[in-house]
Amino acid sequence: MSLIMIILAVAGGALLSIQAAINGQLGSKVGIFRSAFLTFSVGALVTALLIVFFEPKQTLTLFDVPKWQLIGALFGVPYIVIMVLAVQRIGTAVATVAVIFGQLTMSMLIDNFGWLNNPAIPFSPTRLAAVVCLGIALYFIYSGSVSANTTGETDGSTANAPR
Amino acid sequence: MQALLLVLVIAGGMGLSIEAGLLGPLGQQVGDLWATFSIFGVGAALTFLLMLFFSPRNAPSLFAQPGWQLTGGILGAGYVIVLTLATPVIGVAMTMIGILAGQVFKSLIIDHFGLFGTPHRKIDARRVYALIFIIIALALVAMS
Repeated sequence: MSLIMIILAVAGGALLSIQAAINGQLGSKVGIFRSAFLTFSVGALVTALLIVFFEPKQTLTLFDVPKWQLIGALFGVPYIVIMVLAVQRIGTAVATVAVIFGQLTMSMLIDNFGWLNNPAIPFSPTRLAAVVCLGIALYFIYSGSVSANTTGETDGSTANAPR
Repeated sequence: MQALLLVLVIAGGMGLSIEAGLLGPLGQQVGDLWATFSIFGVGAALTFLLMLFFSPRNAPSLFAQPGWQLTGGILGAGYVIVLTLATPVIGVAMTMIGILAGQVFKSLIIDHFGLFGTPHRKIDARRVYALIFIIIALALVAMS
């Protein structure tokens, strides 16, 4: 069961980076908010269809839980807007690694303090070493991307500007 | 400008972890698909308002774009359902590690081949070093 979930999570990550690339293209043509609205409304429709046919009956509804549990979208919306803005300018790889850094740091904090009703998993030296490795990786990808822009025959700021 | 965007994107990544941390417990209370629906329902309402007031007036219609460029919502739904299913079973950190592994490999492939119409960027030595350090980081978190 755990292994299936890990494989699912890897596939989810691949989906996310494909989505970032596609939305970067779409957002540059129709605008960030139109592209983000499309993502969320299509996502809502797909999930609604899945609920109609596959969701078992639940004893609690979304209206019964504390309201703070429903604010996930307030973090998801800024993420999509940021990615649409950033992917064209700094490249999919750099944007993805920066997201990774933020994700890992915050997931360490959530785990360590057991925030948001999650079980607490204390921060450890191996986890600290992992964060350091990630910082190094972020530096390599970022510097590689910057030099690729400046050594090109076109100005770096216009080479990746939205069309 | 690039550094500012980098900081913004890191904050966006933090948001993703918060979202995952909220989704797991919510999914166990009201059902995984309902939890996913809450994200996209609230998100659709918010982005509709943003679009209504701030979208450029002369932008081309969504219906004028090729169909494959409109599939972001389907991919996004897959991602959120995965988060809701996986976090209660394997925990937030392990879910994130899996997500990260998928993201890194896929995005390097996207950049290298310039897939989905993004600018083509060659993988140089520094990108390979970066990938090695990411794999080490992932292994370290998986061990602890």
